[in-house]
Amino acid sequence: MTELWVEKYRPKRVADVVGNKESVEAFVKWMKSWELGRPPEKRAVLLYGPAGVGKTSLVLAYGREHGYDVIEVNASDWRDEARMKAVVGESSLQATLDGSTRKIIVVDEVDGVAGREDAGGIAALSRIIGETRVPLALIANNPWDPKLAPIREKCLMLEFRRLRKAEVVKRLREIAEMEGVKVPDAVLEKLAEMSEGDLRSAINDFQAITGGRKIVDEKALEALGARNRVKEIFDALRMVFNAKSIRAARAALEGLEVDLDMIYTWILDNTPDQIPDPSDLADAFEALARADVMLARVNRKQEWRLMRYAIPVMTGGVALARRHKPSGFVKFTFPPRIRLLQSTSAERELRRSIAQKIAAKLHLSTSKALSQMLPYISFIMANDGGMGDAMARYFEFTASEVAYLRGGEVEKVEKAGARRRVSRRARKS
Amino acid sequence: MSLREVSMLPWVEKYRPKSLDEIVNQEEVVSSLKNILQTKAVPHMLFAGPPGVGKTATAHAFARDLFGPSYIDDGYFLEINASDERGIQTIREKVKMFARQIPMGEYSFKILFLDESDQLTDDAQHAFRRVMEQFSATCRFILAANYSNRIIEPIQSRCAVFRFKPLNKAHVIQYLKRIANNEGLEADDQAYEVIYDFSEGDMRKAINILQACASISKRIEEKTVYEVMGYVSRGEVRKILELALSGKFTDARDEVRRLLYVQGIMPSDLISAIYRELFYIDLDEGDKLELLDLLGEVDYRISEGATPEVQLMAFLARLAAKRRRA
Repeated sequence: MTELWVEKYRPKRVADVVGNKESVEAFVKWMKSWELGRPPEKRAVLLYGPAGVGKTSLVLAYGREHGYDVIEVNASDWRDEARMKAVVGESSLQATLDGSTRKIIVVDEVDGVAGREDAGGIAALSRIIGETRVPLALIANNPWDPKLAPIREKCLMLEFRRLRKAEVVKRLREIAEMEGVKVPDAVLEKLAEMSEGDLRSAINDFQAITGGRKIVDEKALEALGARNRVKEIFDALRMVFNAKSIRAARAALEGLEVDLDMIYTWILDNTPDQIPDPSDLADAFEALARADVMLARVNRKQEWRLMRYAIPVMTGGVALARRHKPSGFVKFTFPPRIRLLQSTSAERELRRSIAQKIAAKLHLSTSKALSQMLPYISFIMANDGGMGDAMARYFEFTASEVAYLRGGEVEKVEKAGARRRVSRRARKS
Repeated sequence: MSLREVSMLPWVEKYRPKSLDEIVNQEEVVSSLKNILQTKAVPHMLFAGPPGVGKTATAHAFARDLFGPSYIDDGYFLEINASDERGIQTIREKVKMFARQIPMGEYSFKILFLDESDQLTDDAQHAFRRVMEQFSATCRFILAANYSNRIIEPIQSRCAVFRFKPLNKAHVIQYLKRIANNEGLEADDQAYEVIYDFSEGDMRKAINILQACASISKRIEEKTVYEVMGYVSRGEVRKILELALSGKFTDARDEVRRLLYVQGIMPSDLISAIYRELFYIDLDEGDKLELLDLLGEVDYRISEGATPEVQLMAFLARLAAKRRRA
């Protein structure tokens, strides 16, 4: 089996880490003060920035170079406070006195400790930061997530930016030499460009197009296309929204290697920004809705023939509806729909687990339990302690499920008539 | 389960009818089923009707009356919810496995209850049709569905179809009063009326509303019900409509998405709530009529399988293009 280059060429020493020199130096300095027996004021670092720019690699390289055991915890695995304490808390208190085995704890994807379900997890982590006797490195893509507020101020914040094209090219060139692969500069430059500063994806792409050969030319690039998705979508969107004819609008999707649902979502979510006039917007959405009906028929009845109507209706319909253009260029954005689904995944998972328990007891589907029982059960549990406890036992809810349901998005009505707001949203902000 | 625990069950469970005699307002269905019980010649059956009118309860009650109180533990009855397991895999594995085993004991067949069977994909339905024939000696099927038109013809033709009527107001209120009496609640007539309005004839919903009311007060008035429903759903829908009308389309959209994807509100409930609010919003009557027409279209499209979120957006975009009444 061929080893993955991203693993094989992961930096072995700090000096090998590509780019972001300032943050790398700050990290080294922070580690030095631990080593000098003076734990720094901030006992955790938060390394943040986009994917593939060396955050985890830096910690691993440092550990390897200076003889640390690096204990990695993937945040998306935790579920609750207890787990957090067990995994991170325990290790963080066991510093060996003789310094024979030194440890760094890395908590990856801290922003994946999402929502309410893991709220206890973040709180526990916050306490652990205060008490830890070993260096704690937290890693996140988006450190500004409100739920990370309690730990942000306790961390040394180190930003990692996208790597410069030249930095990516240089590293790819080094790998090519070590692998004995002959490749023109133009190919490496193109790879670097497509990676948008994500070295990991550039290395992966490079390995993919090389495919074990020792000579790679520009033709090999044609095999790629997966990751420049976003760019292609932007081009397609530009064509769709500016098309003067249905034919041109339809042509925008030709040769696009993105599935139709995805491009549909991009069009759907960019439509409001691109079409400022309300009545144009209503027409555009009607076209999108009609296309959706056709796509549903395609799916349900497997009538692929109908696909040929859906595409011109969704693209041409939007283009024709755009009778008034925004003043100036409005840039296309990543669909909020996808972002919403990502950012709420933990809460949705918790609700789903609650709903499954309800469904099992009450002869319902999970989706009905979710929509028709959960709101009432949550209301009852928030308002009536006794009945709430009985419900919790009956459905066998866990502590975090109970906490979620009790703080549900309902107002607690005091018997006296006075009200206290216990809205979930209010608390979150 | 101790007596005390029984008394603390969710009321939808505690007051679920246990035998056919307790089923409300479905006289024709119940009398046919009783005939079947006497002859013990059980056909495949399709229970069609709106949510919360007693389809699932009737299936259980029928099985209990037929096989006795331990009908589930004795292995005579299996319930599968097609909405959770809608693929062909379920039919191939779970359904077949249960259907082909000859029951031990005095009965020669058992019953598989497939709830929300209109959620099965077409492929799964075709697979199911064959299973129905193959194993009818050992297993009878009861299918429940909101929309019988979503069940493929060949299945319908193999079933005795029972249509469940929507519950009328008198029946729902009578049932609620029985519960209230049992739970030591006081509720006035106005409160019952409003609960019924919100429930739209769905008994499950009506009972849930009553229990939620009871969690804040043992004396239930009209305003108690509004209080509960305000928090449970109504306010959010009004907010969505207001956002759209004030030209904040994307905010309205995001709120709809939150309700659908995070809260898990059923699209049909959301549409019903919009329907109710639509009469009261600040628009010309002509505009309201146009929007009602569109909402009807949206409702139909969703029942046909279109994406609720997208259809609702089309509705909100149209609403956002209207002007408030001068």
